[in-house]
Amino acid sequence: MEKLSFAEIDNTVNATLEPPGRMYWTVVALLFCGVLVGAACWGWQILVGIGAGGQNSPVNWGTYLINFVFWVGIAHSGTLISAILYLLRAGWRNPIARAAETMTVFAVCTAGLFPFIHLGRVWMVYYMLPVPNQRTLWPNFQSPLMFDVVAISTYLIVSVLFWYTGMLPDFAVIRDRAAGVRKKIFTVLSLGWTGRYEQWRHYSRGYLLFAALATPLVISVHSVVSWDFALGVAPGWHTTIFAPYFVAGAIHSGLAMVLTLMIPMRRIFNAQRIITMHVLESVAKTIVFTGLIVGFAYATEYFIAWYSRNSVEMEVFAFRSTGDFALQYWIMVICNSLVPLLFFIKRIRTSILWLFAISIAVNIGMWFERFVIIISSVARDFLPHAWGDYAPTGIEYGIMLGSFCLFFFLFFLFVKHLPSISMTEIKELQHQAGTHD
Amino acid sequence: MTNHDTHITALFADDAQAAAAVGALRQTQWPVADVHGPIPSQAISGALGIKKSGVGWFTLAGGVFGFFLGYFLAVFTSARWGLIVSGKPVLSYIPFFIVGFEFTILFSVLANVLGLILLMRLPAHRDLPRYRPECSADRFGVVVSCRQGEAPEVRRFLTELGGEMPEPADTQRDL
Repeated sequence: MEKLSFAEIDNTVNATLEPPGRMYWTVVALLFCGVLVGAACWGWQILVGIGAGGQNSPVNWGTYLINFVFWVGIAHSGTLISAILYLLRAGWRNPIARAAETMTVFAVCTAGLFPFIHLGRVWMVYYMLPVPNQRTLWPNFQSPLMFDVVAISTYLIVSVLFWYTGMLPDFAVIRDRAAGVRKKIFTVLSLGWTGRYEQWRHYSRGYLLFAALATPLVISVHSVVSWDFALGVAPGWHTTIFAPYFVAGAIHSGLAMVLTLMIPMRRIFNAQRIITMHVLESVAKTIVFTGLIVGFAYATEYFIAWYSRNSVEMEVFAFRSTGDFALQYWIMVICNSLVPLLFFIKRIRTSILWLFAISIAVNIGMWFERFVIIISSVARDFLPHAWGDYAPTGIEYGIMLGSFCLFFFLFFLFVKHLPSISMTEIKELQHQAGTHD
Repeated sequence: MTNHDTHITALFADDAQAAAAVGALRQTQWPVADVHGPIPSQAISGALGIKKSGVGWFTLAGGVFGFFLGYFLAVFTSARWGLIVSGKPVLSYIPFFIVGFEFTILFSVLANVLGLILLMRLPAHRDLPRYRPECSADRFGVVVSCRQGEAPEVRRFLTELGGEMPEPADTQRDL
């Protein structure tokens, strides 16, 4: 990173919090309209019943589960960047850590809506909570779906606390520059942080422990999500490869989303001196790594099916690549495994246009990966007379649009109202490099 | 030192200078009341003789409590609902470790936050009077306690160490 003074870092980040223009509010209003479309579709589904979606027997899980797994996956690279790379002392993470953490929080919030949506009778959600009740029924903790409730709730709480704790010193920076109501708000948010070394002593230790705890959590959460499928005895699902395969895929999709968000953000906020090409290039290199793991997992699934000589398993995998969902399958393979290999070429991974285009391709590919996994196995189960088909309905598309709009709506609000780049971590980076004034 | 009724704050451009000032002040009769800075600094922590934080004990206690709570919850709910599902025993001890693990992380983090709040004494708005806003930006502030009559001498001493003496809010009678 080039030489930046502490004042320049503060000025750059504080400039992102200047009152936004009309364009910003127009985009926010459009995104809010998208959220309303999703809410209206959900409302309609509550009114007429879960049959408003395209789920059927045997394809009981449609886009609601696809989107749930997709958004949980997006969340994961935020924790990779903020926690795992923090423990590994990867300096390039600092400029994007805050935005990635924010992405995690909003992606988990968005993901968390889908089990509610899929419940149909959403007011029965308390059935999942282990509370004494008149039914004398308790949740069954032998089910991976209940593991999921515990894991996702834990992940959301931990992500929010990690995010807020990381922002404390930055809130103090904003408080000290602000006036009026804004100063009062940031005074409350900063909890009176003064950067006393007595505070830093506990803060540094506590933050390190946060990172150390978030690291196994992130691996466990997507493993638990994968067991929603792997513990079922459906062909194509019942395999031990699922946990690492899902974790790698989650990080792959999340890193792509980081690029999708960071590239416009650095341009809009003139943060090119902080979110440098080196940072984006490092993300691209990591995407190559995760893409290779994902590609290896795709190949291994086929190998296991062939090597097992299990006719049902072989039929399911043949169906994936040549059957009704072959288009989705090949989009998945090309976008997730082949397109990221372009990042081996330095000219491509240092081109903003290519980085952005490939990040979008990986996002699309990872959505279709979830589609292929969730739909194709149950659509071609053991018994041919029980085979089925699936296509999302307009209501499902509306809810999906709403979920994407909700995520970007929250992110847009965040970047203009809270520090989207960690000033403290950038200062630490400059200090370690000995480059600040 | 109850007869020290004034605080003088000197601002330093980098942590090495601030750490050197802390070291020099420890050789005098004027105690260092506080040091504020925009980033953690090993040099300053070393000069102040700050020990390792005890927040990890909170985290450990939370983790142990969380594990047993999660495991107990899974056992208790299964025992209350004694139905065999998919041929699995009612008390499936190995899968219950997953619930125990998630609760371990959850309660470790909650205890970590509780430990931070208690040990950092947050919210700490009453500390703000001795605090200079430059210390959240790009300066390291060393706060020295002294008697009112010694203030000019302390200022001269700190200036010689490379400190900037901000005016006029540097001297406050808040003890």
